[in-house]
This record gives sequence, C-alpha cells and structure tokens, in this order.
Amino acid sequence: MSVTLPIPVFPGRILEVTLPAGPGGTPVTVGGQNALPLLPEGEHPNAPAVGMEVPTGTLELPAALAAAIGPFAGDPVAMARKCAGDWGARFLFLSLAGCHPDGGGLSVSEGAAVVREVLSATPAPVIIGGCGDEEVDALLFPAVAEAAGRPVFLSYAEEKNHRLVAGAALAYGHGVVAWSPIDINMAKQMNLLLADLGFPPDRVLIDPLTGGLGYGMEYTFTIVERIRIAGLSGDAALARPILCHLGDAWKAREATDASEEAWGDVGARGPRWEETTGLACLGAGADLLVCRHPSSVARLAGAAWR
Amino acid sequence: MALTAIDIYKLLPKTNCKECGQPTCLAFAMQIAAGKASIELCPPASEEAKEKLSAAAAPPLPKVTIGTGEREVVLGDETVLFRHEKTFYHPTAIAVSIRDDGSDEEFASRLAAIRRLSFERVGQRIAVDLVALRCASGEAGRYARAAAAAFEATGLPLVLFAPAGPLAAAVEAVAPSRPLLVPTPEDLLPAAKLAAERKLPLWVRAGGIEGLSVALADARAAGAVSLVADPSPETPRDAVSLATDLRRLAILGRVRDLAYPSAFDLGGGFPDPFLAAALLVAKYGSLLVLDSADPADLLPLLTLRQNLFTDPQRPIQVEAGVYAIGTPSESSPVLITTNFSLTYFTVRGDSEAAKVPAYLLIADVDGMSVLTAWAAGKFTGESISKMLAECGIGEKVSHRTLILPGMVARLSGRIEELSGWRVLVGPQESSALPSYLRRLPPAAFLPVHG
Ligand code: B12
Ligand code: SF4
Repeated sequence: MSVTLPIPVFPGRILEVTLPAGPGGTPVTVGGQNALPLLPEGEHPNAPAVGMEVPTGTLELPAALAAAIGPFAGDPVAMARKCAGDWGARFLFLSLAGCHPDGGGLSVSEGAAVVREVLSATPAPVIIGGCGDEEVDALLFPAVAEAAGRPVFLSYAEEKNHRLVAGAALAYGHGVVAWSPIDINMAKQMNLLLADLGFPPDRVLIDPLTGGLGYGMEYTFTIVERIRIAGLSGDAALARPILCHLGDAWKAREATDASEEAWGDVGARGPRWEETTGLACLGAGADLLVCRHPSSVARLAGAAWR
Repeated sequence: MALTAIDIYKLLPKTNCKECGQPTCLAFAMQIAAGKASIELCPPASEEAKEKLSAAAAPPLPKVTIGTGEREVVLGDETVLFRHEKTFYHPTAIAVSIRDDGSDEEFASRLAAIRRLSFERVGQRIAVDLVALRCASGEAGRYARAAAAAFEATGLPLVLFAPAGPLAAAVEAVAPSRPLLVPTPEDLLPAAKLAAERKLPLWVRAGGIEGLSVALADARAAGAVSLVADPSPETPRDAVSLATDLRRLAILGRVRDLAYPSAFDLGGGFPDPFLAAALLVAKYGSLLVLDSADPADLLPLLTLRQNLFTDPQRPIQVEAGVYAIGTPSESSPVLITTNFSLTYFTVRGDSEAAKVPAYLLIADVDGMSVLTAWAAGKFTGESISKMLAECGIGEKVSHRTLILPGMVARLSGRIEELSGWRVLVGPQESSALPSYLRRLPPAAFLPVHG
C-alpha cells in the first residue's frame, strides 16, 4: 500500500535578501523559499542564518554570559572578531545600546566611531541596532548610515521613525529591519510604508519582536507562523525574511537565577533558555537569529537546515 | 476533509419534514456543518448518511490515553495544524527513561530525580508526565518488579520498553495503571494481542510512513485498538518531517488508517535529543521519551510546552481583586498590578520575597501584562481610580497611598486627580520590590485625616 502525503503547495515565495559582506567576507543570503520551514518539501535555496550580538555600553551580564563572552564584551572590535571567527556567527548585530542615556551614554559620534571600527575589523555582514531611545536614535541612525563605509542593515525602522531611517538607509545604500510589536497587521503596514518611500523590497527584513521563552514566546511563535503562511500564500508585503533577536531569553529569571538549585546548573540553563527560544523561532519560520551566547550559535546552526 | 453544508445536504432525505426541529433539510445541514447538531436528530436519514456523517464528526486525530485518574495522559485529539487556527488541546507528553539493570540504589535515586522534574510556573504545575522503563536485564521477573517499583515510587504512568516475555510479566504486575506497551519490532504481534486482551495502549514502530501503515494494520488485525505511531526517525530533521507527515495525514488527509498520535524515542544513541525534543514540542510530537533527567534540560522543554499549548485566544489569567501578601494591617502598603498570570505570579513572588505584608490589587485587564494593558487602553488612570473606589481597599487600609508599577509612571497624575489617592512610582521591574519596600518610610502609610 502506498501512502500519498498531503503536502500543501503555496503560490508565493519569500523574497531573497542578502546582507552584504566587506572585502573577503561571506555575504549572508536568506529567503527564497516557497514552503514551510524545517521540511523537505518545496525549495529552500538558503538555510536560516545564525548571528551574534556585539554589545556596547554598560553591561550587567548574567553569570553564564559573563563566563562565555565577558573578556570580549566590553570591547566591540575584539568581540566582533571573536563572534565572526571562533564562534561561527554568520553575521553580527552591533547593538548601540551604549548610546542610550541610561545604557552608557556614548555620544552619537562615539557610536558612529564604534561602527566604523567594527566594520573595518571584520568583513562579516553587520546589522546595526539603535539604542531604543527615540530622540537619540533619530540622530544616531543618520550618523551611522553615513559612518558605515560599506552596506549594512539598520535596525529598526518602525512606524514613527521609518521616514528618517529609510531615508538615511536609501542615501547610503543600506538595508533596514522593519520592526513591529507582535502584530501581523503592523508588520504588513511597515512594509507598505517602506514601499511607499520607494525602498527596495529586497533590502528589508521583518523583526516581529521576539518574546523570551516563558515570557511571551508563544505570541512571537504564532505571529511568525502567521506572517510566513501569509507570505507564502501570496501576500507580497509579508513575503520577507524574518529576524528574531533572542536577547529577551536572558531576561527570564529561569535563565539567570543561580539560587534555584532545583532548576539545574545555571551555567547550562541560561544557554538552554536562549537555544530553546531560538528553536521555537526556527520552527515557526525565522530566517535570521541573533544570539548572545556562543554555544547557541553552534547549537542553533544544527537546526538551521534547508 | 470536513464536509460542507452542501455535501451534507446531498446526503439528507430532502423532504423538509421538520422532524429534526429545523424548517428545512438545508437549514439542518448548516447546523451539522457548524457542529451544532448531529445526524441522530434526523430519523428518516439513510444508513449510508448516518455512517458518513458520524465518521466525519469524529475528531480527525483520535485520542489515546495512558495511565488512569489524575495522572492520566491524553495524546492526540487535535483538530488543527497551527495554534492560531483554534488551539492545541493536548500538550506533548514527556517521559523520562530508567533502566531495570542498575543496583537498587541507582534505581531509587533515578526515580527520585524523575520525581523532582516538576516545577511551578505562573500558577500551573509543569512536570514530566511518564516514566519509560527500559528492559536492559532481559529478565522477566526483574523487569516486572522494576515496573511495580517505578509506578509505586512516582505514581506516574509507565511506558514499558521490553521484548514480549518481560512485557507480559510487567503487564501482570501493573496492568491496572494502564501502561503503554512498547515491544521490540519483532514482538509486535504478541504484544498487540496482549494489548487487545488487556485493553492497553500500544506503541507501534516501523521505518517511515509506509512501514507504519503496514505495522499499524498488523496491530489492528491482532485486535489492538489504542495505538501510537513511531516512524523511527534517525535524525532530528527526519523526526520533524515524519511527525508533520503523520499530523497532516490525520488532519488534512483524514487518512483514518494512519491517524494516530506520534511517539518518538529520543534516548539511546539518538543524535541531539534536546534539539529534536524542542522542535517536536513545536511541531507535532505527541509523546517523547528522553534519557536526560537534568532539570536544566527539562525546565526549558516544559516551559516551551506550556507556552505553545496555551489557548491563543485566552491568556492564562487570574481573578481580579484584592490579594493579601502575608498578614497586612491598615497601615500596610497597597500595590497594584494586572491580572495576567505571568505578571501576577512574578509580582506576587517578588512581594513575598520582600517579607513586608501588603495588599496587592489585581486589575481586570483581560489577562494582559502591565505595558500591553496600558498600550491597549485597559490599564488607565480612569480604570485604576475606579478600582480604588470600588474594590473595598479603602476600608482595609487607613492610608491613601498606592504603589504603581514603574513602567506606567505616566499614569500617576491622572490617578491622583481622579481618586484622591497619592501615588508612589515603584521600580520598573518587580524584582526590585524587596529593596524598594524595605526602604519605604512607614510615614508613607500613615492614616489620612479628614
Ligand atoms: C507578549 C506581548 C504582547 C502580547 C500580550 C501578552 C499579554 N497577555 O499581555 C500581545 C501580542 C497580545 C501584545 C499586544 C500588544 N502589545 Co505587547 N508586548 C508583549 C511583550 C513582548 C511582553 C509582555 C510581557 O508579557 N511582559 C512580562 C510581564 C511580566 O511584564 P509586566 O506585566 O510589565 O510586569 C513587569 C513590570 O511591569 C513590573 N511590575 C508589574 N506589576 C508591578 C507592580 C508594581 C507595584 C511594581 C513596582 C512593578 C510591577 O514587574 C514585572 C516583572 O518585571 C512586550 C515587550 C516586552 N518585551 O516587554 C510588548 C509590549 C508590552 N507591547 C506593546 C504594544 C504597543 C502592544 C500593542 C498595542 C501593539 C499591537 N500589537 O497591537 C498590543 C496591545 C494589545 C491589544 N491592543 O490588544 C508595547 C508597549 C509600548 C509601551 N512602551 O508602552 C511593548 C512594550 C512592546 C514594545 N516595545 O513596543 N503584546
Ligand atoms: S428531519 Fe431530516 S429529512 Fe426531515 S427536515 Fe430534518 S433533515 Fe430534512
């Protein structure tokens, strides 16, 4: 007896997006698939890509992170080299949280200088994250766009700042990460707004906001699944690669609290928390993952199959 | 595929006799399609129609139960492929394994370790559901004693991995606890007969979907009814793909002969069992067996399961109202938060850690976190002032000072204006509550004078 499998066939295809690399580096291309993640059906020309965050500013690292990245985390250039080298990150997410008034208070020009240094220290593809303070970011993104000597992605363009960020990105040939708070309609709206500005669609990634395991992960899981299914079903504004930043996993008490011995060794538990968050994102359809712990890069790459 | 109202209408007598209570056969067909009526209500319906319609009404993925009573584990009985389409009902069951060939001490300490794999999160118990007993000794008597001891020590239902001989002996010892039988593939037939006789669930393994379709048919022919299907993947990647195939065959294909909950043994030499387990919790694994009893592995897996198996239409929430932390008095602090379980239990835990008796007001915001509720317009100066006036806290304390979550500091002015209460802005994260509460001067909560 032969069994016929009911395999859904989708009319749409996720747009291919490339994060460019510097001279001698390897660009990262994601997207291009016309089927659901992790399955052998359809075409998946590119595997999901796992990258790492390069932090700036004052850091209060949980013990498991301090042990792994502590010696480098205070030095963005050393950290970037380590991530893209020994730790196997395919791209870097340079977070300029250090420019937040409460996060280290680097000036905008200092932030731009860090960008310049990191970009010349490694040819890896880079996404540059803002600091989260609206006013600072309004100055930071244009400065960074100008300072970056080669094409990068700017994270984040949201409803309020998208003209500014997209404008800066357009002027210097960068891409943008379109952010929305766990909401499929807003994710779509962001892409329509960017299209209205004439922003090239193949330079846009969707960041749906990633809740950490136990702290909103299920909302992200479902929004990512819905965005992906909508994109594959033909909604072009949602047929884009999805980026999940796993940083929220480290906000969970379970990931960092050493006092609960019944929860197991916190040195193992923290990385597991990040890994599990990332595995759920991959299962839902994420194309790019940003990790904080080096072991997550290797572990998640093990499930980032085509 | 589910039948449409038109498909159903075609099967009805089309006489509009109204015996079903509906004005027309078409109206009745629409009721059935919506799941609001059953064909039994139409006496003149043909046998063929009755048969087809009751088959279509059965859940696409039947239910299998293991164990009895409170610890009963239900597998399958799902209706959708994605949680946003409705919800998932029966969380992936997780079994942790133990072998029967260790010393008594090793055996007891492993059982104790499995028993400890039980945690409380947001007011719910999340725990390992079953014990999988592997027959490594090959001795029937020893295996049966181990089964009885494992059940006795944990109270958890058993998954019995053994060849036919030891399996039969263990069934003698623990059948009333309704274990799941997992014979070696060669012993499928005798085990299926045993399962049929004792009305026990049976794990059927074979290579891939084609292999399973043969093995499942053999098990049914031997009389076994309650089956779980293991397509025996060799890698995590195969496991996800095969689990998806099985779930789609049941739900999209309505292929009855393959519509069984899936089961995976991720122990022994299975490559990267943790990775496979996490992906299978997200993607259609009904039952997983793991060799790891490390809480650092199990807590994240159980949390993932708790996340994905909550109803997407209804966040886990607690009842709104006035909660006491410790034994508060009329001069104890009053704090406010929302009725999202995650928020409530986090804040409650942190307040208790402060060891300062207090009242905690839980606002009804349809189960949203503080910031989400604020962004949705449900946690506002108006709603908080209304709660202060109506919840009775004014009679419990003699002061009029409210501690507000730091994230919504911007609400303080409006609350003070509308309620007459004074507002203190607390820390942003409730984890800072212990030091915050201990530092507050008692004068903050002195009685108000007319
Ligand atoms: C999961 C989530 C959702 C879920 C809902 C989850 C739920 N049941 O509440 C969904 C997807 C439905 C959602 C919807 C929306 N969301 Co939302 N969501 C989140 C997310 C990712 C996590 C929220 C969470 O669970 N936090 C955990 C709980 C425990 O936190 P908490 O309740 O705040 O409690 C903490 C503190 O407030 C404090 N605390 C709590 N009580 C008390 C009491 C006292 C006395 C003290 C001192 C302290 C204290 O301690 C707690 C632990 O640290 C956050 C982003 C983030 N990472 O925080 C955004 C976030 C809250 N959402 C946001 C928004 C804008 C929305 C929407 C309006 C957008 C939209 N998608 O349409 C809607 C609103 C809802 C609606 N219109 O229906 C914004 C709010 C913006 C702002 N700064 O105000 C956030 C911050 C995301 C962002 N950065 O933009 N959201
Ligand atoms: S009882 Fe049956 S035949 Fe009569 S109206 Fe209802 S559906 Fe039609």
